[in-house]
Amino acid sequence: MKLMVHKRFLRLLSKGRECIWYCQKPKLFISQPVTLTFGRTVRSFHVASPLMMKLLSVEEIFARKSLHQHLTKVQLEYKECLQAISSITMEDQCSEEELRAKRTKISLLAPLIQSIRELDKKHEEMAETEMLLKEEDQALRELAELEKEGCLQDIQQLRAKILELLIPEERVELSDLVLEVTAGVGGQEAMLFTAEVFEMYQGFAQYHGWSFDILEHMTSDLGGLRHASASISGPQSYKKMKFEAGVHRVQRVPKTEKQGRMHTSTMTVAVLPQPTEISFTINQKDLRIDTKRASGAGGQHVNTTDSAVRIVHLPTGVVAECQQERSQLKNREKAMKALRAKLYSMKLEEETSKRYNQRKIQVGTKGRSEKIRTYNFQQDRITDHRISITVHDVKSFLLGEDLLEDMNSLLQELSNQEALMELLEESSQEEQ
Amino acid sequence: MWRRVLRGGHAFIGLRSGGTKALWGFHGLRACSAPALPAGCITALQAVDFWTKQFEGKGVTEPELSSRYIIAYLLGAKTIESLEQQRLKEFLSREETDQLWQLCTQRLSRMPVQYVIGEWDFRDLTLKMRPPVFIPRPETEELVEVVLTDLQRLCGSGATVLEVGCGSGAISVSLLKSLPQLKAFALDQSQEAVDLTRENALRYGVQDRLQVHNIDVVKDADALLGLCGSVAVLVSNPPYLFSQDMTTLQPEILRFEDHAALDGGKDGLNVIKQILTLAPRILPNQGRVYLEVDPRHPPLIQQWVEGNGKSLQYIETRSDICGRPRFCILQNEAPKPDQD
Repeated sequence: MKLMVHKRFLRLLSKGRECIWYCQKPKLFISQPVTLTFGRTVRSFHVASPLMMKLLSVEEIFARKSLHQHLTKVQLEYKECLQAISSITMEDQCSEEELRAKRTKISLLAPLIQSIRELDKKHEEMAETEMLLKEEDQALRELAELEKEGCLQDIQQLRAKILELLIPEERVELSDLVLEVTAGVGGQEAMLFTAEVFEMYQGFAQYHGWSFDILEHMTSDLGGLRHASASISGPQSYKKMKFEAGVHRVQRVPKTEKQGRMHTSTMTVAVLPQPTEISFTINQKDLRIDTKRASGAGGQHVNTTDSAVRIVHLPTGVVAECQQERSQLKNREKAMKALRAKLYSMKLEEETSKRYNQRKIQVGTKGRSEKIRTYNFQQDRITDHRISITVHDVKSFLLGEDLLEDMNSLLQELSNQEALMELLEESSQEEQ
Repeated sequence: MWRRVLRGGHAFIGLRSGGTKALWGFHGLRACSAPALPAGCITALQAVDFWTKQFEGKGVTEPELSSRYIIAYLLGAKTIESLEQQRLKEFLSREETDQLWQLCTQRLSRMPVQYVIGEWDFRDLTLKMRPPVFIPRPETEELVEVVLTDLQRLCGSGATVLEVGCGSGAISVSLLKSLPQLKAFALDQSQEAVDLTRENALRYGVQDRLQVHNIDVVKDADALLGLCGSVAVLVSNPPYLFSQDMTTLQPEILRFEDHAALDGGKDGLNVIKQILTLAPRILPNQGRVYLEVDPRHPPLIQQWVEGNGKSLQYIETRSDICGRPRFCILQNEAPKPDQD
């Protein structure tokens, strides 16, 4: 029976990656090589050092007292809001603003409350079915068996849904972002690696069907990249890419190395959420735009093919430039896009640096200066230092397909769990 | 006459004929000393370096960019950056090398890159370019921006625009492509420009909403007035150079582009004045004129309109991104009919 249920979950798992998080899964809290099932493929992850974090199953989380306490608290809160609104009278002192806050709260909590109620109902059904199982009639018992199976499945799904709804929303859950790659320590070798990583994310974007539009692209003589940026948009793109921000380290014998010595070089990935025009405005007066046409008469007097545009944000000194396009206007639009993202992320960083201090999976912001991953070519392995997970086959990983996706999903899951645990902890502390 | 010479010159350069030499004098001589084809195979990257040095040596402007754009075009891309590193390290085939030498030799004669590769980007369009039709400048991308913003705000769907001096069709085709309800008339005194505008309109599937006519607005105002019904907006990047500045133009412009699209007469206002004279007879009340001009022009135009503009009012001057006063906006304020 248990096996059947498990199979069902696996099938569910293969239906879509979205369900991964709330499905039963072999645990990672093992000191030997573990196998994780990720929908289409089975991958081996090797635990390099004792795991700092354990990926919990839905059951394990539901077994926690703190979760049930939190759910009870939420239901109570919902009820109070409802009462406050329905009992309101014209002369009540309750201000308009308070009311609005309560209404917002209700609409925010409604899906969660709905799921909790459905879960309760399913538990009742389950109890009834259990009764039927004790019947003498064989046919009835078989029927009850079937029903029980369905019930269990529904319960599992509802529990998963509840957990998903509990995960605190990121303030910036946008779908568009600007990816920035910059070569770090290691000269030409670092630049060559930067080019490879940039291509990896181009592959990752293609894998997910996101658009990948290169904004800046500064090459080195040997075909490496000093710095590049690209605008990425598509469903879930920010949600996934934010786990890629940080310092990536490469260990290998560079092509440029004559004596066969291994080098360690670094490059930095920054993931900047792309703000909308409305959410973030830049004063045009703060900008200085440089083009090759700036000197001389311009217009019909000059014919140039250099359409590069450089924009300086005067108050901060932040610069963005683009020479990707043959149209100057297009270059200006792209440079502006890069600049907006840079300024916006500076602003966000200021606001959020305090909020995520304790989190291990540094969500997009503080991670920029932190070493997150090592690509060791000689041992053909990639190690993610945030979760101490190692995966093999660097070449396939750099394609930006299944291997990167799996690593990325794992980060997402652990980050979600981290956020949830944080929430439950806060909630139970309040109780005391 | 000029145009015939140009066309001839274009054909001759490919053949490295002695005739070109006689016509172009000193510069022609330079064009003919094209480097020989390489004996062995070379890669795209090597070719970029080779031609950059050639261009530098012969004083061709933007040597590296020219070399990169031409080679990118040869390999089917817009820019070198958009090609894979691997492709750039591969050897060029014999045919590719031959074609590259032909194209780059044209550039050595100072032919603009846009004519050499036969296309260039304007806003989000890639337009065909062919000598001697005027190559659109980046400032005109901004003119389109100004007109587009106003058209979206002021006019409902189904408005009609008149463009005077359409050249390659950059303005009209851009507007039509951005506004699916818009219709346009485009005029040019040059048959080559009319043909090229039609080709570019066809390329972007807007030919059904665009009428292109070979009309010289200075010589044949009546033809224009008879042709266009009521148009809401008149837009133009007219020839606005002062005649005296023509001699100081870079060889790329002077030798290859249609002078009629550049030379605006003694004060650069010949065509502009003609447009402003005709505008009140073409535009309805509140109809607007958008012009790209020389930075010295806006005060002159404002002055002229006050004396001769009839119902035309000067609205505003806008600057290009380099901060030069570049665009003039005027509006027809037809006198209100007497109220009975």
